[in-house]
Amino acid sequence: MPPGGYFGKALLVDLNTGSAEAAPIDESVLRSYVGGAGLGTWLMHEHCPAGIDPLDPRAPLMFVFSPLVGTPLTTSAKFAVVAKSPLTGRLTDALASSHFAIAGKLTGHDAIVLTGACEEPSYVLIDRDEIRIEPAGDLCGLPAADAEARLREQHGPAWRVAAIGPAGEKAVRYATISHDGRHAGRGGLGAVMGSKLCKAILVRPRTKVASADPAGVLAAAKDLRTRSFGAATAKYRNLGTMANLLAFNAISTLPTRNFTAARFDEAPALGAEEIAELRQVARNSCASCSIGCEHIYRGPNGKKTRMEYENVFALGPLCGVSDADAVIAASARCDELGLDTISTGGTIAWAMECVEKGLIDAPWLRFGDAQALLRAIEEIAARQGLGDLLAEGSRAASQTVGNDSDKFAAHVKGLELPGYEPRTLQAMALGLAVNARGADHNRSGAYEADLSGAHDRLQGGEEHVVGAIETEDRAAVMDSLILCKFLRGVFAEPFPDWANLLQLVTGWEVDATELATTARRIVLAKRMFNLREGWTREEDWLPDRFLSESLKLESGRTAALTASRLETMIDSYYRNRGLEPTGVPTPDTLSELELEGLLETEQIGANVG
Amino acid sequence: MDDAAAIVLAGGRSSRMGSPKAALEWHGSTLLRRVTGIVARAVSPGPVVVVSAPGQSLPALAPGIEVVADEREGRGPLQGLAAGLAAIGDRAAVAYVSSTDVPLLHPAFVRRVLGALDDGVDVALPEVGGYRQPLSAAYRVDLVNAINTLIAADRMRPAFLFERTTVRHLGETDLLHDATLARLDPKLSSVSNLNEPADYERAHALPAPEITVERFGPLAMADPAKRRQTVGAWSLGEAADAAGLTLDEHVVAALNGDQITRDRHVPLVAGDTVAFMVADAGG
Repeated sequence: MPPGGYFGKALLVDLNTGSAEAAPIDESVLRSYVGGAGLGTWLMHEHCPAGIDPLDPRAPLMFVFSPLVGTPLTTSAKFAVVAKSPLTGRLTDALASSHFAIAGKLTGHDAIVLTGACEEPSYVLIDRDEIRIEPAGDLCGLPAADAEARLREQHGPAWRVAAIGPAGEKAVRYATISHDGRHAGRGGLGAVMGSKLCKAILVRPRTKVASADPAGVLAAAKDLRTRSFGAATAKYRNLGTMANLLAFNAISTLPTRNFTAARFDEAPALGAEEIAELRQVARNSCASCSIGCEHIYRGPNGKKTRMEYENVFALGPLCGVSDADAVIAASARCDELGLDTISTGGTIAWAMECVEKGLIDAPWLRFGDAQALLRAIEEIAARQGLGDLLAEGSRAASQTVGNDSDKFAAHVKGLELPGYEPRTLQAMALGLAVNARGADHNRSGAYEADLSGAHDRLQGGEEHVVGAIETEDRAAVMDSLILCKFLRGVFAEPFPDWANLLQLVTGWEVDATELATTARRIVLAKRMFNLREGWTREEDWLPDRFLSESLKLESGRTAALTASRLETMIDSYYRNRGLEPTGVPTPDTLSELELEGLLETEQIGANVG
Repeated sequence: MDDAAAIVLAGGRSSRMGSPKAALEWHGSTLLRRVTGIVARAVSPGPVVVVSAPGQSLPALAPGIEVVADEREGRGPLQGLAAGLAAIGDRAAVAYVSSTDVPLLHPAFVRRVLGALDDGVDVALPEVGGYRQPLSAAYRVDLVNAINTLIAADRMRPAFLFERTTVRHLGETDLLHDATLARLDPKLSSVSNLNEPADYERAHALPAPEITVERFGPLAMADPAKRRQTVGAWSLGEAADAAGLTLDEHVVAALNGDQITRDRHVPLVAGDTVAFMVADAGG
């Protein structure tokens, strides 16, 4: 084991038997995959049966910690929840920030892996290597936050709780897991937890974790904290991510009415610059964070909720809704019910277009109708009426509805697109298409390249490929250390800076070159998991709408992304990633990145190389 | 504009000006940087080619602007035109051709002239102030062979080309029929070229074009009254200065909702809108 940062073991919890055992994790694995999303990927290769239904009790649900958790480094109180997604059938890893990260790690484990299912709706207490399963009783049906409050009141404030809401209990395929008001949001992890009849998991700190160089870590933490107060994070402090909305509208990258437009005329009614003064009531921080990006808004009936760009984009412009009260209420309701706001908004927007085209008989569900939006959210969480179809996500729903409705279902691999228009951000278009998790802005931050001014964002080409790879690699490291991406702007030399932090905590003599290789390894390990689960190159693609319909910019230019251009970028991405034209890693790449070991556990050798 | 390119002829002798026009200072930039930036906006994503004299030293240009050298110096515009068209090759069907001494050129003028190259037309030739404007005109790229034939015969005046091609003449009324151009350049100053130092001094003293500046996110919060304001600015740098903003690693600008840049030298023209926003677009 390294001198610091890890316990070198994962707790394997069998909910069928109510038993648990600690399984060692070799130091070489920790160094190769770091933690968080990276280590979670390795654990999925190890513990997830190939080809399993994500909602089968045998499918694992993992809470994976990282070496920086428990240190005073700002934004490090984060963890990854990893599973096979019931929405995509592929790997998903959602990150969240909260005290759960610290308490979970200080159970004495680098990961907690749940398999099996409880006999009845229950919650699970994890105390060192011991577990206890208790009936959920009247916790069932409660919002996650209410369940969390009750459980901490009952068991004591030292316990930290991750819980699901009603949507997770109903196996909505984009249900979330929540804690401290934060959410592991994307990919339907709440449905996986619900399929295990597990309403909540409780952890409490019972040990400490060492750092190799405590004085060095403290000094680095002070420095990082100071830098976190600078201009690079001003946006997050001042307005939060909602600051994106009007800026994106100005540059035609605000997805509107199910991606039929990239500008929303009524956007000012939702812009933070316009409504913050009247509606914002507080600013909060995640655990161990000095940025403070959470901006709390007051909605109808005085109810307070955290507002983010992705909530507002998905439940506002994407559905054509400009009523700020309604968007705040919809966002709050998604949080209460345990729904991923992006997939909720994306699926409802798709349904609104279906209604408009006469493909779904639900005349009440119209673009711009705030009450219809709120009704649809309730029906989805309860799986009632049309909601039962929409609870499957836009891809599955479009397959049921047919009539070419898949052409405008805005997803990649089943995951609904975030609020970054791919036709006007063409490095992002590539990033969305090839990412293992599906259409996702956190695993691929290629929009950074598009908005840097370094290339023409409307003319995807080789520069865009380089930008997409670089941002994907950086995300792989940040998601594994784990550090918040809102901190990225403070690192002048990211890989050397991150290597230094890892060295101070673990004592490993790791440098930027090694960390860059680690990033590539993690990106491809995710791809290899998907390959094992049946991935083919056709999945690295965008919906037809983005390749057949152009957008007109205010400048007069046309933003068009052709199939041929996307294919050229994907070919180049594969070459630069060391993949065959089929998207499968070459033998040389497997060897260089020391990924052959994954083949031995998965019998996918016939498909690889 | 799809399938269009631009050529800027920078190799003239500038004998009356007394110094190379291409390098003349223009409000923190140069004439050539300004004119290439303006035509680039009009033909984007098409190529922009600067034709220089053999051995000529040029001021700094924006990334992506190509430079080719004339084979022979002092042979007139057809020589440069041929070099520019040859450099474009099959990358565009039509090209706007400009001299380097037109700082008041507006992209709307370029688009208007290029738009006049209908099927069957080889050259769109403006006539402003009673003069034909062959260096503010649009040409089909495949005229390169005809031009080379004229050069081989030492017939170096543009008029010889117009005699043997289909030319669409664009009078002032024709040009101003375009509502956008009529609004943004009603006096057709786009063709005003600078031949002598006095021309340069007069033009340089003109008030800067009126630009709309917008601020977003944290940049909008310090003074809500300045979220949208009008300033005079010849370049992005001047617009940032007028707005009291610094184009550092934390701030980017979008020009007319399109090009994202931090380049202070990006030229601005009347009617432009510049949006300043924070560089980190994480959400």
